[in-house]
Amino acid sequence: MKKNDIILIAVILVITLGGLASMAFRQKASTEDTADKAYVLVKIDGEEYGRYPLDEDRQERIELPDGSYNVLVIEDGYVQISEASCRDQICVNHFHIHYAGDAIVCLPNRLVVTIEGGEENDIDSATN
Amino acid sequence: MNRIKAASILLVVLLIVFIVAVQSGKIFGSKVDGTDSSEEIKYTATFLDIFDTRTEIVGYAHNETEFSNQAEIIKERLVFYNNLYDIYNDYDGLNNIKTINDNAGIAPVEVDEEIINLLKFSKDMYKKTNGKVNVAMGSVLSIWHEYREYGSDNPERASLPNMAELQAANEHVNIDDVIIDEEAKTVYLADPEMSLDVGSTGKGYAVQRVMDYCREQGMDNILLSLGGNISGLGTRIDGTQFRIAIQNPDLSSSEEYIEKVDINDGQCVVSSGDYQRYYVVDDKVYCHIINPDTLFPSETFAAVSILTDDSGAADALSTAVYNMTLEEGMEFVNSLDNVEAMWVYHDGTKVYSEHFEESIVK
Repeated sequence: MKKNDIILIAVILVITLGGLASMAFRQKASTEDTADKAYVLVKIDGEEYGRYPLDEDRQERIELPDGSYNVLVIEDGYVQISEASCRDQICVNHFHIHYAGDAIVCLPNRLVVTIEGGEENDIDSATN
Repeated sequence: MNRIKAASILLVVLLIVFIVAVQSGKIFGSKVDGTDSSEEIKYTATFLDIFDTRTEIVGYAHNETEFSNQAEIIKERLVFYNNLYDIYNDYDGLNNIKTINDNAGIAPVEVDEEIINLLKFSKDMYKKTNGKVNVAMGSVLSIWHEYREYGSDNPERASLPNMAELQAANEHVNIDDVIIDEEAKTVYLADPEMSLDVGSTGKGYAVQRVMDYCREQGMDNILLSLGGNISGLGTRIDGTQFRIAIQNPDLSSSEEYIEKVDINDGQCVVSSGDYQRYYVVDDKVYCHIINPDTLFPSETFAAVSILTDDSGAADALSTAVYNMTLEEGMEFVNSLDNVEAMWVYHDGTKVYSEHFEESIVK
């Protein structure tokens, strides 16, 4: 074997082992990250506005450039809109949400609040 | 020497194969972001720009991209129907229901076949429901729409339309004045004062057509909700039935849902009620469902839910039954095949048609 062959094999070995190690690491990181922790995802017009842990109580005033707003409240693992500038108030009247996939929508303000991860509900959809 | 060289080349080739395999995640079947998961996972997509309501698509895919592609196909079909059945907006180069209304008493309008199909279906439902669902009553509904919009924006000045105004508009609601020429593919409103409002059939009909399309395309395990018009294709990925919750019309209750039902392949659920689109005059709720007989919002029930195997029919029937008395509605529903209903009174009392309870989750 020539010296170059040995170098080539060594380089390939290093790349392979390095790749393996990084895969293992990423896998571990991703399982820890999504260990079914629930987040409250807020989107406006399809764009992500914010993401908050469901298990931390907080109040967030979500303001739009035109002055309209929704007040998001996370309390004891439940999410609701306590106040909003929209005229139909459907989001305010909506039941608080808790389960993975649950959503509150404010059509006038193009706002969607959904829960990602966490406790699963037994239903796939609901009438409104 | 040659043998060693051959062996080293073989070793290099094997190593390269190994690297490629590892990088594409095949050997370890790993689930790193962006790669496939071996089993299909449940995804939900939500859109707010179709039929002025919330669209929810539930489906299963190996990864987010695969699901997004599927959801986009469904969305595209829904947008097609949204534009066709729109009564408020114009679209470049497209004749829709608004175009037909704008040309009432003036000229027949050439339209897409799916408008003709919807209007034929709507005429059918008019007959079936003895006039309790009338897409030709746009003149009356637009008056209520105006008062409701104004009253929602200015609650302290909210008022009711007067009866004379409603009755005058009601002179122009004859569904036989909707002239469909199937050969020429045109629709003509013979009464210049009349207009179409497909609010009671359009959404449901669109859902049915889109789900039919999905089935033709070989899609499976999909749940589509267009503003609460819910329709199922197949089952959940594990073979169990899709489970639908029916919203409690009493929004002050601590129970979000009043009932849960399991639906079969192709079944649909839809509710009509006074708890979402309404306005308040002198502390009284006036909802968006207008009874063609009284020209006023119906108020007997908080909600009526229909369970059947056609989404268009479900939509129209829920409006029709909401506008009937319990006795009329019960007789009507029990006379139809594969149609079940649940009535909910304002005090929370529930009444079921003959076989509704068979679908309820115990």
